[in-house]
Amino acid sequence: METLQFLMDGFAVALTPYNLMFALFGAFIGTLIGALPGLGPANGVAILIPLAFTLGLPPETAMILLTSVYAGAMYGGRISSILLNIPGDEPAMMTCLDGYPMAQKGRAADALAISAIASFAGGLIGTIGLILLAPVLARFALTFGPAEYFALFLLAFATLGGITGKNPMKTVVAATLGVMISTVGIDIATGTQRYTFGVLELYEGIDFILAIVGLFAISELLFFIESRAGAGRKLIQVGKLSLSLKEVIATIPTLFRGGILGFISGVLPGAGASLGSFISYTLEKQYLGKKAHFGDGDSRGVAAPEAGNNGASSGALVPMLTLGVPGSGTTAVLLAMLISLNITPGPLMFTQNADIVWGVIAALLIGNVLLLVLNIPLVGFFVKLLSVPPMYLLPVVTMVAFVGIYSISHSTFDLYFMIAFGVAGYVLRKLDIPLVPIILGMLLGPEMEKNLGHALVLSDGDWSTLWGSPLAIGLWAFAALGLALPYIVGPLLRRRMKVAITEGPESD
Amino acid sequence: MTARGDRVLGLVLLVLAVAYGWAAQQWPEPFGGAEAVGPETFPTLLAIVLALSSLYLMVKPDPDQGWPLGRTAGELVLALVILVVYAALIEPLGFVAATTLAVGSLSWRMGAKPSTAFLSGLASAVVVFVVFNYGLSLSLPAGPLGGE
Repeated sequence: METLQFLMDGFAVALTPYNLMFALFGAFIGTLIGALPGLGPANGVAILIPLAFTLGLPPETAMILLTSVYAGAMYGGRISSILLNIPGDEPAMMTCLDGYPMAQKGRAADALAISAIASFAGGLIGTIGLILLAPVLARFALTFGPAEYFALFLLAFATLGGITGKNPMKTVVAATLGVMISTVGIDIATGTQRYTFGVLELYEGIDFILAIVGLFAISELLFFIESRAGAGRKLIQVGKLSLSLKEVIATIPTLFRGGILGFISGVLPGAGASLGSFISYTLEKQYLGKKAHFGDGDSRGVAAPEAGNNGASSGALVPMLTLGVPGSGTTAVLLAMLISLNITPGPLMFTQNADIVWGVIAALLIGNVLLLVLNIPLVGFFVKLLSVPPMYLLPVVTMVAFVGIYSISHSTFDLYFMIAFGVAGYVLRKLDIPLVPIILGMLLGPEMEKNLGHALVLSDGDWSTLWGSPLAIGLWAFAALGLALPYIVGPLLRRRMKVAITEGPESD
Repeated sequence: MTARGDRVLGLVLLVLAVAYGWAAQQWPEPFGGAEAVGPETFPTLLAIVLALSSLYLMVKPDPDQGWPLGRTAGELVLALVILVVYAALIEPLGFVAATTLAVGSLSWRMGAKPSTAFLSGLASAVVVFVVFNYGLSLSLPAGPLGGE
């Protein structure tokens, strides 16, 4: 029962008024970020990192703030799914299927309420899973040596594209580019200057926060300008809440199944929240069969994917906290925050920085309650903000990104650098090169090189040490599988997702 | 559908990989003699991986997405110019003035009416300036209007 003790300590950290205030603020901002089209959770968290820095927040507070934003963004994603039929982020796609028809029938308020309850249940189940699983996995990860870590990092890259990823080779390209960027600067082991071209600003390496903000925020602005979607879209009226207690109770079994399935797919490398909500929805649809009218505005069709999506987002924190290997874009950005706070993520974090880990976990639990309380009365307010057209919103968001980067270093050089990253991000996205592996490469690159060096020094330069243990071989095998599977399963799964979406609203 | 984008990308990446790998071989041997792992080991590996995957992109490219042409391309370039000018003006002109100009012109180019665009620029600039300078006590450049 030492877990319970740690959790209590975690609550002691998270419940101080100071941290609680930031959790509330994060939950609120997170919901906004999730709800606004064109501001995905990864993007939103990235823009907030420089702010958390310049405020000089203590590490646990900074992490609590960002995890609350993360949890909030998952809540917010559903608002635009239901009201606009546009998912705020990818995992919220499945919520459109029943949420939008419900809204069209004049039950938008009910759909929003159901989805808030489902998000709460999913988040709660996911967090409980995290509490049970993370310490076990962390203990297991202590047996990893440098060779195993090297293989684990490869596994993370290989599975990052996800089973539904389009072209795994492009993930490889992206990850390699990211790692290459991380080699710029003075080599820690030998002091050799690498790729600095004598430019003073490059000696310390390229700041990944600047790169992340540039890649996400600036490229997003460029995409919006290109698509000329500045004016926004028409909203559906929300109307009055007419949800009966009976209907809420009827969704409880759905919530359990969705939350658990979501959590599992969140933990698994490469599956992530999109798959979590997809599996929850389709399995629930099959399980209920003729008893439900999915696709036609069934409240359980809103509850299942939302529970799955939020369960998965807590699940995705398991590999990030225990192994230092994030499974999704947003958790990669959270990892960036940890690294910049000088905390080495991984199994040791559970012993060395127990207050932070458990503070974050407790903050997730509190955050979920806060979000539920915030969301039901404040939904009208969020809806109002949603109707602010992007042509006013995105320039302001870009400006906040500028302010954040500028306030870290007070250097205009960094701003030019960020714009350059934005242009690169735009071109790469146009060419279907995913951005998240680039970021993960920048974050994990130094660790990867360090572990490679340690492994080779221990073995006296014998490269076969990298696949010398059964565990390492297993990790290599999974990595290979992660690259091969998208070729086999990917097209099939993508087609089924597409079929479900195009058919959904019409089928009976 | 052509696939020129991926081919060009592959070529650029191949050149990058070769240059990156070549540069790694030029570094002086670290003080204390060469070891099993030097500063060039890891970059060399990366160069090989990137070279191989860029060759793959050239051999098996994906079909292109449409690239913006004409007016849209012009708008994109204009937006970038605005951002660069914003970065350049933020210190000499002061935060509020530079932000009003940048946010206003971006909103305007994205389709807002000029008057409301610059008004929203001014409003957001003032709010952010006040919040940062007084609320969070992080100083943003006040510029000539701030009055020392």
